[in-house]
Amino acid sequence: MKAGPQRPVWRILAAVFGAAAFAAVALFGAVLPAEFGYDPFGAGAALGLTGLSRDVTTVLAPQEEGFATDEATWVLSPFESFEYKYRFEEGAGMVYAWQASGTLLYELHSEPDGAEPGYAETFDRARAAGAAGAYVAPFPGIHGWFWENRGDMEVTLTLASAGFYGGAFEYFGGVPRERAVRRPRPALEPSPAAPSAATVASVRLAPAAGARGGPNEPTPREAPP
Amino acid sequence: MRLAGARGSLAFRRRTAPGLACLGLTLAAAPALGHAVSGSDAAFVGAIDGVAVAPFIYLGAKHMVTGYDHLLFLAGVIFFLHRLRDVALYVTLFTAGHSLTLLAGVLGGWRANPWLVDAIIGFSIVYKAFENMDGFRRVFGVSPNAKAAVFVFGLCHGLGLATKLQDLLVSPNGRLANLLSFNAGVEIGQFSALALLLGAFALWRVRRGFSRHAYAANVALLAGGFMLAGYQLGGMVLAPA
Repeated sequence: MKAGPQRPVWRILAAVFGAAAFAAVALFGAVLPAEFGYDPFGAGAALGLTGLSRDVTTVLAPQEEGFATDEATWVLSPFESFEYKYRFEEGAGMVYAWQASGTLLYELHSEPDGAEPGYAETFDRARAAGAAGAYVAPFPGIHGWFWENRGDMEVTLTLASAGFYGGAFEYFGGVPRERAVRRPRPALEPSPAAPSAATVASVRLAPAAGARGGPNEPTPREAPP
Repeated sequence: MRLAGARGSLAFRRRTAPGLACLGLTLAAAPALGHAVSGSDAAFVGAIDGVAVAPFIYLGAKHMVTGYDHLLFLAGVIFFLHRLRDVALYVTLFTAGHSLTLLAGVLGGWRANPWLVDAIIGFSIVYKAFENMDGFRRVFGVSPNAKAAVFVFGLCHGLGLATKLQDLLVSPNGRLANLLSFNAGVEIGQFSALALLLGAFALWRVRRGFSRHAYAANVALLAGGFMLAGYQLGGMVLAPA
């Protein structure tokens, strides 16, 4: 006997069913509609709770400028590695997919602006012959991949992406070289009244032939106006 | 409950306060549930490649202290234990249970459905509260072994920990050290929470009307357990994979 006075069985059962009923009302009336958008009795809609289960920021993130697409191919000799990164402002994002003819060690990481050289935050790290996804920059900086061929065969790697990045940089041996990206929507060009130096420098009104250079042939950067 | 009766409303309020506080706690806690390791923590430890003792101790302790399903169960377990020796015995059984499945689960790569495990943890709270209400003896005429139950539910809690920890131990480097650090952190967190709970119960137990409040609090615990279990089962069926 633990809880003091002996209680009649019916009172214990009533308490159990009361607790279960209370939990059911709270679950169906609030928790399930708010957490999972499951609202069989309409209580969540009546209380205005169903919107909580939608993550609004991931549904739509309007961007004003900077839309670009990019496609590139590289051939990696055995034990060769390099990095390929984009310039992102905070909250700007991209969708990407890359595929390789063999398994590569890769890492998706980002260097925040102003961080000490060599500092990076890693978001994905694995061995695979491809990966795809959506990425939203958590801070302004240089964001992208490191790839390394750990095998003894040449591996061809192709990357395609579309997003709101400022420019693309390729690092073989740690030396950055800018690659041109395509800006397929001239209407999104910043207005002349407020030109952003970084964007204007790499804007192309029409896709340039050189923007799709072959393996290991970065396109020379256009001179700023 | 015979709480209100002919007494004045002030007395009613004073006497029901602990039970209501407990109920309020379960209600306030319910919507925030996603009891996984939070986004930024996950991103940080996901990037760890090697031994990282302090971060994993911290995460283990944080998981325990902020995991109110573990805390509610623990509160149920020590509810009527007033001798420190008994507290130590039951908590040791719980610790042995969850450490066993945490270590074996991570090393053996066992993966349970985290929603299902958390639903069972919710039911462990229901079980313990029902036992504290003397329900098993009064309603079913049986007295299940409380020590065995604590150990078995410890195994379930550990399985949940193992499932979540494996998402964080991305790199094989320093895996064992990080696992042991996480386990140590869980025990540190549990010890801290337990110290607070024991203090609160010691203060509460000497007050008049404790047994009535205790009964009401266990009914609230029961409701909280049902709610946690229902939320987790709901998540298992409804949450996007």
